Amino acid sequence: MNAQNILTEEDVSILQEIMNISFGQSAADLADVISTSVVLSVPYIDIIEVPELPEYIKNHVKDYKNINIVEQKFWGKFRGDALLIFSSGAGKELMSLLQNENRELSDSDPFDVLERETLMEVGNILIGACVGKFSELLRDVVTYTPPKVVVEKDYREAITNGHYDPDKSAIILKTDFRFDEGDVSGFLFLVTNNDSVLWLKDALQTFIEQYE
Amino acid sequence: MNNRILIVDDSPIARKMLKSCLPKDQGFEFNEAGDGKEGFEKYQELEPDVTFMDLTMPVMTGYESIEKIIEYDKDAIIIVVTADVQMKAIKTVMDSGAFMVLRKPLKKEELTMALSKALDTLKQTT
Repeated sequence: MNAQNILTEEDVSILQEIMNISFGQSAADLADVISTSVVLSVPYIDIIEVPELPEYIKNHVKDYKNINIVEQKFWGKFRGDALLIFSSGAGKELMSLLQNENRELSDSDPFDVLERETLMEVGNILIGACVGKFSELLRDVVTYTPPKVVVEKDYREAITNGHYDPDKSAIILKTDFRFDEGDVSGFLFLVTNNDSVLWLKDALQTFIEQYE
Repeated sequence: MNNRILIVDDSPIARKMLKSCLPKDQGFEFNEAGDGKEGFEKYQELEPDVTFMDLTMPVMTGYESIEKIIEYDKDAIIIVVTADVQMKAIKTVMDSGAFMVLRKPLKKEELTMALSKALDTLKQTT
């Protein structure tokens, strides 16, 4: 049994709305930290087999050539990986936006360390707020691993085969975004698997029951 | 005469959630649209008393739809219902003439109060 057979059209529609609310929250949290707003798009949901995942992600990032990735694993009843994929140059642009806010970035650190830390900080805010709101709406509590960052890597090498368990399905929750200022865009993937899907299906129905 | 309500949101689930939060005993007449363009067209056709409007939608965003509706009817009562709770988004729609902004997920009490305020305003202006 895979996720495609478990979730109904209504389940997917509820999931899409919950993702919309969750990413809206993370955009607002980030806008509190930097003085630019995040332009949101309509999120969409796709359910695929895990072996298709590297190709799927490559097909969705190929316009970028080089990419930056912030990845965080999260555990709760709903568990998986959050992948925040930024366009090339995002690290430098974000550093500039954060410095405009007079935030403490040490002059003694090498540039690539600052870039990495900036991506990590912004990624942490976006992923934490989004996954946190998502879990809260579905009455779950999640914990996270520290974020991992891949900076300016060719998109063909950034996501490799064997990164995820090939026996699982993946639910792709994808939200595109761009910043109002600076040339920064990207998208957030939440990748989960069959272990979470049955729980998720029940949680989605519980969520919508309050609106019946 | 029953009050006419227009709900503009691309998500059928979001429209269902909103409708379920509105009072059932006041005989509202509900109409729905799935994007900003359809929302504007239905506004012209139906001239609803209150319009609930999402912002992030395909075809035409809520921002554009609000501008078009206000240009068509400067007294339109538009309550924005959005997941985009950034200050800039709220300021933009209020500057465009929205009546109020409510954040998703909706709470029944907030929505009932907002609608009641909207209908009071409608009574005062007609």
